Amino acid sequence: MKLLNSTARRSAAVLAGALLMSSLTACGGGTQAATAANKDTLTIAVDSDSASFGFDPLRVADAQRQFFEGLYENLLTLQPDGSVGPGLAKEFSYSADNTVLTLNLKEGVIFTDGAALDAALVKANLDRRSDPALSAYSAIAQGGAQEVTSVSVVSPTQVAIRFAKPQPGFEKNLASTMGMVVGKSGVADTASLAKTPDGSGPYTLDPSTVKGNKYVMVKNDKNAGAAGYAYKKITFSVIQDPQARANALVSGQADVAMLTSPTVDFAKSKGLGVSQIGGTLHTMVSFDKTGKTAPAFASEKVRQAFQYAINRQSLVDALHKGDIPSWNALPKDSAGFTTELETTFAYNPEKAKSLLAEAGYGNGFEFTIVGSAETQTDLQAVQKDLAAVGITMNIKMATSTDEAFAAVATTPLGYAALGWDNPVGLMYGVVLNGFTNVQKASDEQLTAATGEAAAAKDAAAKKTALIKLNARLVESGWMIPLYESLTNQGYNTKKVQQVQFAGSNAYPLLSSYAPAS
Amino acid sequence: MEVTMALFITKRLLMALATVLLVAVLAFLVVHAMPGSPGAVSLGAGASQEAIDEVNVRLGWNDRLPAQFFRWLTDAVGGNLGTSLIDGRSVSADLATRLPVTASLAAGATVLSAVLGIGLGVTAAVRGGIADRIVGGICGLAVALPAFWIGIIFVYLFAVQSSIFPATGYIPFEVSPRDWALSLALPVITLAVGGAAFIARQTRASMLEALQQEHIRTLRATATPTWKILYIHALRFASLPIVAGIALQFIGLFGGSVIAEQLFAMPGLGQAVQTSVSTHDAPAVQGVVVIATVVVVAVNLVLEFATKFLDPKLRAS
Repeated sequence: MKLLNSTARRSAAVLAGALLMSSLTACGGGTQAATAANKDTLTIAVDSDSASFGFDPLRVADAQRQFFEGLYENLLTLQPDGSVGPGLAKEFSYSADNTVLTLNLKEGVIFTDGAALDAALVKANLDRRSDPALSAYSAIAQGGAQEVTSVSVVSPTQVAIRFAKPQPGFEKNLASTMGMVVGKSGVADTASLAKTPDGSGPYTLDPSTVKGNKYVMVKNDKNAGAAGYAYKKITFSVIQDPQARANALVSGQADVAMLTSPTVDFAKSKGLGVSQIGGTLHTMVSFDKTGKTAPAFASEKVRQAFQYAINRQSLVDALHKGDIPSWNALPKDSAGFTTELETTFAYNPEKAKSLLAEAGYGNGFEFTIVGSAETQTDLQAVQKDLAAVGITMNIKMATSTDEAFAAVATTPLGYAALGWDNPVGLMYGVVLNGFTNVQKASDEQLTAATGEAAAAKDAAAKKTALIKLNARLVESGWMIPLYESLTNQGYNTKKVQQVQFAGSNAYPLLSSYAPAS
Repeated sequence: MEVTMALFITKRLLMALATVLLVAVLAFLVVHAMPGSPGAVSLGAGASQEAIDEVNVRLGWNDRLPAQFFRWLTDAVGGNLGTSLIDGRSVSADLATRLPVTASLAAGATVLSAVLGIGLGVTAAVRGGIADRIVGGICGLAVALPAFWIGIIFVYLFAVQSSIFPATGYIPFEVSPRDWALSLALPVITLAVGGAAFIARQTRASMLEALQQEHIRTLRATATPTWKILYIHALRFASLPIVAGIALQFIGLFGGSVIAEQLFAMPGLGQAVQTSVSTHDAPAVQGVVVIATVVVVAVNLVLEFATKFLDPKLRAS
């Protein structure tokens, strides 16, 4: 090039050098100093903003229990084995007819606002159940599946909760966000909870928190149980993108991360530990068991035909790689799980056709299901399988949340993701008496099995009852399970001990995380 | 001459103010046209109509629109952009923590893309031949590749495989300047790749035109050092479209940082927009729109003033 003499070349070299230097300066050194073993802090990468509605634990559902466990205490607590243990309530007892639950409260519990725990505060909390914004209380509000009719102060340390109808097993609810107690100032001025938590939990919120991005919690010296938590500081880092979350774990910005199934192999290939648990059943639910909206659904044989008609393995292979095809209504880790159902209801379109013929629907029938953006592709896969045995399932996309909810009364079949951490509560609150049974169908075997599970005195009796319950749910076609999604907790094995789940609960206890030895 | 310049600056400032005001009015009207009221949004589904009405009355939602806008404007001028309907936090305070993140990303990516783009563009124009073709090829590829894909590749190579940079997160400058730079490195490079290619093309074209100018030939004839000809005289002649390109890059990156913020989990304005729009948080949406407009208008002003300074013909007019 004519214009480029030796000086120009030197200039170009200097420029190139400067560019390279600037790039290298920007690069700096490695980042792993930040990830060197530090047993005082723990960073958990989560998939969503747990405090998107602020710091009122009653505005969220059980999926946020782990986050709020740091800031608030529960009336009763979830134990490492999944059972319910004492919390702010030292003990509890039911009346003989299971319509009153009495709690005896601990003393000496101090909230962020300086107030102390007493029965009046617990009553003030539970009396907020009429507030429609409190998702945690939706089941106990008036007309709810587990309606609480009154809460009364028996003494400064004793509270009585009265139910509209018998509620055996209600105590498990008090170990979820529903049982979290907000301090006196927070109850009096609920708007303040949008910005500032008012709890008595083992941690308090640190000012270095950046809303929607990272929530930093530091040990609360006023909490007597704080010693049971291994870390001085816990950071919840919100990383919505699943791959970015896995990357954060691999590169050391997180010590623990919620992983989606497709990123599990990647994490394992990088030497990270992954603890997995099932628990969420993606299942079709027969809303109409009486034939009111679609006569064919009144027949158990027709509902059973659905079990045989759907190719679950193919559905998982195509759309949910890494998850588990399911023929059980209850999850794999549940006491009620049985492998027998996998063979009894194995994919068999011919059997589905013959059942339809026996029920008088040899030429098939047609019905409509209401879908959403999340369920559309699954429903389309099922639609194809059903068409192969003569059932025409029309999919109508919901145009509003109201329409989606109204579908329980206007369509025969729905699709939901159900957590079975509390089978008795779910059966009474959702399946037998709740919103999935608007037509008020009954099934003696289901009622009996649920009652047996509720009354079971030991693990063996409970297992027997839950197996019966599970088998009947599938046999009756009240539930048409499709697949079970796994909850995956990836962890840095050099920093954190193997992550343990509390029974079948998909969210580990905050107290269960501990530094690697 | 001084009077003309003062008039020019005053005119431009008034136009900038009018633009911000117009956008603020439009944002206000769009927010009011959205379905639902602040009461319904803040109380959520299932709230009674009485409770919703009470919140709406408290927030002045039923007042006449001009009165509402004037109230909002008065507060905004005083630095108060209202409070979030979702969590009751101050919108101004929230944006004050997010603005530095997006500004760092956009400014960093603009500077890097300018340095790389000008360097590559000058090289392509001056050397020509195979160097020109290589630069052209690289630029074509860089423009074609989506930023999120580039980001994924960079994260895989420099965070996952070699742990040189953090894969996610943002460390504020005041906490640690070194960690701040490290946390910005990958997102800045990700955003800068496309911008550098754009500026390189712009620079190459402008430089080729500049090198044909008569005064450059005269300089060559007078044995002026080549580096001086290239980097002082020719580059200055070519600088107008390059500066305009750089300013446009900054504006584009400021609005387009949402991809990098999502990919690298950074708490910037893009993340705020995403959250506030999905939750129908009207004051937050309005706040972000106005702040972003102020930034864009300010950059345009600087561009105009810089153009005036760089071009002697414009300066004299």
